[in-house]
Amino acid sequence: MDPAHPGAGALVRLFHVSKSYLAGSWALRDVSVELGKGEFVFLTGPSGAGKTTLLRLIFAAERPSEGQIIVLGRNVGRLGPGGVPALRRRIGVVFQDFKLLPRRTVEENVALALEVLGTPRRLVRNKVFAMLKRVGLQHRRFHRPLSLSAGEQQRLAIARALVNEPEILLADEPTGNLDPELTIEIMDLLVSAATRGTAVFVATHDAALLERYPRRKVRLEGGRIVEDVPGGRALR
Amino acid sequence: MRRLGARLRYLLRTALRGLGASPMTSVITVVTIAVTLLLVGGFALLVSNMERLLDRFGEEILVSAYLEPDLPDEERRALALRVQSAPGVESVRLVSEEEAMQRFREGSAGQASLLEGLDENPLPASLEIALTPESRSSQGLAVLVAALEGLPGIEELGYGSEWVEGYARAVALIRSIGLGIGAVLALATLLIVSNTIRLAVYARREEIEILRLVGAARSFVAIPFLVEGFIEGSLGGVFAVGLLYGFFRILLPGLEDGLEIFLGFSKPVFIGAEAMLGLIVAGAALGTLGSGLALVEGRER
Repeated sequence: MDPAHPGAGALVRLFHVSKSYLAGSWALRDVSVELGKGEFVFLTGPSGAGKTTLLRLIFAAERPSEGQIIVLGRNVGRLGPGGVPALRRRIGVVFQDFKLLPRRTVEENVALALEVLGTPRRLVRNKVFAMLKRVGLQHRRFHRPLSLSAGEQQRLAIARALVNEPEILLADEPTGNLDPELTIEIMDLLVSAATRGTAVFVATHDAALLERYPRRKVRLEGGRIVEDVPGGRALR
Repeated sequence: MRRLGARLRYLLRTALRGLGASPMTSVITVVTIAVTLLLVGGFALLVSNMERLLDRFGEEILVSAYLEPDLPDEERRALALRVQSAPGVESVRLVSEEEAMQRFREGSAGQASLLEGLDENPLPASLEIALTPESRSSQGLAVLVAALEGLPGIEELGYGSEWVEGYARAVALIRSIGLGIGAVLALATLLIVSNTIRLAVYARREEIEILRLVGAARSFVAIPFLVEGFIEGSLGGVFAVGLLYGFFRILLPGLEDGLEIFLGFSKPVFIGAEAMLGLIVAGAALGTLGSGLALVEGRER
């Protein structure tokens, strides 16, 4: 990191960000945090601590009430109507409730992230197949999401988030529905994305996961950052 | 260029899939558009035939200029030419004494006794003057009468001014009722169609939300819906024209006799090609506009 410009290489930078949905009550309060290229960070804390709000602010689903958020060089609070989609196309998001399209097949759900980029169809097909293979769903590609198990749906959501090789990956409880074996597989996927240069932000309250993967941990409580512990192992 | 092609293919594919994904909603939308346009089309059919009927009545508005007896043929013809150039005149026809008598005989069949004992033809020759459609009003008639009065060779003018006034009022009434009901029907159609499509969009709000979350641009989300609305609206318009024609063919034989007796005019005519195309275009426009309205509203929510 350039000492003259702290955070100059960061892909995500929050400066004293607060978010309030109701006057007088804060979902996030004075949060400052940075996330660099290829960095893997756990966002932890109890339910209602503000983890999901923090992720939503980063992909511009919410606007900050106070403070500044710079994502991929863009000030999120000042994005125009065309700026939001453009930013989201560079960010992969794994939603807690997956947000899969029930009427489209597994393959089509993953393809969506490429289609919004205008990727040619043949390329879409190849990339989608390779991605589904990585998450072990290639044999399910013509099924509809609702016929999949919760774990499979989770992997599908991750496949969609990763298929366009985003610069930032945000994952909200991505292993919440998985058994230990699958959890390791999914975590390997997320870690390998970080190794390829994607900045990965994983919200979780799974203590076992935090123990097994000694990465940087940012702990939220009552909307404030109470702990920011560097990882035990360097990723780069 | 490749990207644009890929996008266009995606948008069209998505629109078609949208139609197939909720076939019931699509069918309801198409039927709603078809039924409302059928009403509009039926009304247009009625008004256009009323106007045709009025036109025919209007053609019967004639001013008769009775000629002085013993006016030589050349002068009659010269007079006819002068009258032809008078304001509001569509055509002039010279009716000789003999023709007048012939008509009288035909018109009073069974009452031949009326003519018995006449040594010579008492009926005068006349000029039958038809008015242009614009002059078929009391004012038009007054202007023409003023121009004809005092022309040498004309003895007397005959015309039914009350009949003309009634005719002009009927034309104005039917036109304004037509415009009024037409406007109400058009507004009702727009509201019904946009409501139906709004339901379709609402049913897919989750899909719209997800598309936005993965970074789809507004147009990327909106265009498939607009294309869907366009397809549904066009289909609705085509069905409306088909249904209207079907009803027209089925109901016409039953109505013809009644119409003949009451109105004494020839067969009702189906709406013209332009009006048919108009209905289909209106359907397409309504479908697209309805989708647009529903999307704008969805964004505001």
